[in-house]
Amino acid sequence: MMSWIKNLFGAKESGLLVVILALGALLTAFSGKVRLPVFEIGADGERQRVFITNEAGERVAAIAEKNKFLNVQNLAQLAKDTSFIAIMAVGMSVVIIAGGIDLSVGSIYALSSVLGALVFQYYGTNGAGANTPPWLGVGLGALTCVGTATACGIVNGGLIVALRVHPFIITLGAMAILRGIAFVATKGQSVGGFPLLFRELIRFETSGGLSLVPLGVMLLVTLIGWIFLSRLAAGRRIYAIGGNELASRFSGIRVEGVKLGVYLLSGLAAGVAALLALGYYGSASSGDGQGYELNVIAAAVVGGASLTGGKGTALGAVLGALIIQMISSGIVILGIDQNYSQIIIGSVVIAAVVLDNINSWLSNRRLTQASVGKH
Amino acid sequence: MKRLLILAAGLALALSGRAAERTLTIGLVAKSQGNPVFQAARVGAIDAAKELGAKHGYVINIDWRTPNEEDAQKQAEAIEQLVLAGAAGISVSCSDANKLTDAINSAVKNGVPVATFDSDAPASKRFVTYGVDDIECGKQTMEELAKVMGGKGIVAVLAGNQNAPNLQKRVQGVKEVAKKFPGITIRDVYYHKETAQDAAAKIEQVMQANPDITGWALIGGWPLFTDNALKWKPGTVQCVSVDALPAQLAYIRSGHVPVLLAQQCYEWGHRTVELLFDKIVLKKDPPAVKEVSQLIPVTKENVDAFAKNWDKWLPK
Repeated sequence: MMSWIKNLFGAKESGLLVVILALGALLTAFSGKVRLPVFEIGADGERQRVFITNEAGERVAAIAEKNKFLNVQNLAQLAKDTSFIAIMAVGMSVVIIAGGIDLSVGSIYALSSVLGALVFQYYGTNGAGANTPPWLGVGLGALTCVGTATACGIVNGGLIVALRVHPFIITLGAMAILRGIAFVATKGQSVGGFPLLFRELIRFETSGGLSLVPLGVMLLVTLIGWIFLSRLAAGRRIYAIGGNELASRFSGIRVEGVKLGVYLLSGLAAGVAALLALGYYGSASSGDGQGYELNVIAAAVVGGASLTGGKGTALGAVLGALIIQMISSGIVILGIDQNYSQIIIGSVVIAAVVLDNINSWLSNRRLTQASVGKH
Repeated sequence: MKRLLILAAGLALALSGRAAERTLTIGLVAKSQGNPVFQAARVGAIDAAKELGAKHGYVINIDWRTPNEEDAQKQAEAIEQLVLAGAAGISVSCSDANKLTDAINSAVKNGVPVATFDSDAPASKRFVTYGVDDIECGKQTMEELAKVMGGKGIVAVLAGNQNAPNLQKRVQGVKEVAKKFPGITIRDVYYHKETAQDAAAKIEQVMQANPDITGWALIGGWPLFTDNALKWKPGTVQCVSVDALPAQLAYIRSGHVPVLLAQQCYEWGHRTVELLFDKIVLKKDPPAVKEVSQLIPVTKENVDAFAKNWDKWLPK
């Protein structure tokens, strides 16, 4: 079983997967049952509750009893809640692998959200551009959101390269500046009223009432991140710079260009996450994404990214985000007093990283022993 | 004997089934964990659960799912998770009404009624909202302040989170009333992170830069949760604040603050749990969708009597 998992995911991710499976098994075993209403698709194509007649002849809503954790609705909810942080964590992993850090992702998320939201609102049902073809409004809004985030990433990268200042300082400054711009742009107001086409696109539900678009986008971003980092020369250069910047420079890699690129990708990922959240939640304010930078960095690090650079994967980042979200959701499912939630999340994050490190150490040791055995 | 055992087992099963049916969970989602007003709401909800449970023979659990810091997205996730965890009803104070509307509507669609308190989501399908009228709250704050300032002076407004719609309405109320007093000028509205230290630091900064300010309208009580926020002699600068938490009452006694306007934050939890229980169990709708709670003025005259409430309202 373990070797199959390792072949499929690689040694690093297999450890994370074991943690996820163990958490899933524990939550399934201890979560108990929940009584949820039963739905069906009505003649008008809308989901509607199913009603039955009970023994007393009363018409009552049909209820199905399910495992609180292991049911399709909960797993879809878990995937959706994970997706926003996970997408940003893929971008953050790229930055961390290159030996950098991006503290401004939460603010990029907020600024791209509110600027995108202002465009969406303009083309929304009550906006001045309501008569414009919906696809145009949706396209322009999406472009503004993702474009703003990408531009922020380029500015971050440009300043880090041009001023030769540590990324911690530049992105710390950007964190405050970008959130300030978001506040000025919205005057502190929540911006909503988006085109229905956009909302329906992101909130699209299957016949079972599951919103799978965030999950789909997260998987797509993971796949692209995985291909980029492990199959393309551009990705290998990022590992090289993170491993040894000086050696990379002497071997002919254009370090500045690569650094600029990683911040661009981090911004782009934050923009994609912001766009998804805009469509799903239907509004934005300058307070959005506060503290997300730490969640995103935690997800990347739990996923195996090394803050000293040179290590990490896109899949690891997503699995790291999933572990953190599973713990957070698990606290609700198990009905644990929320007063203890931060203590539990912090402890499990450390435990996950330690377990993962032990797993990597054992793998390396086996590899070394096998290599010694051959000689 | 065998029949007797089967009968006993059947009876036990029936009784346990009945007991399970008479247990219900109500989710409580406030804006932020650290704010004492929401802790009072939590105590209110737990008390209401005990009272109603004893009266009607129910075991009512209050499932508190509040973000550590204000985050509407996390609140929406909490509502969705509570629905999936089997909550029978949810009471929520909305950090961003727009962002929570879909989550509330989805809960209602899944048969889970939602009540809002303190900060509403008016476009949602919540069946009731409970709290102060925020514009009136701002108006009352400014009226009390104008009274103690003798209708003249320079006023600063302390307003917490700039994104909170309820606080924006209170600021609007303050400004509307200030216009009625030609001798009063509003210097500015000052926002800050909603922690006691940040709020106290903001007052200090503003007073250093603007020593001519003679009145403060605090539309939330944040700085007064510290014990040294108002560094002037009592009476030299006037101050009226919303909320009357235990730490704030010391400022009434010291004479720094002549009037506190207490929100009924304990009732936020207590009343919404009552309303939810009525809706879920007794199948009774509230008389109106908006239930307004009045502000209670706390002055030197009634401060000691009011302080006794907190023995009951604070988490044990």
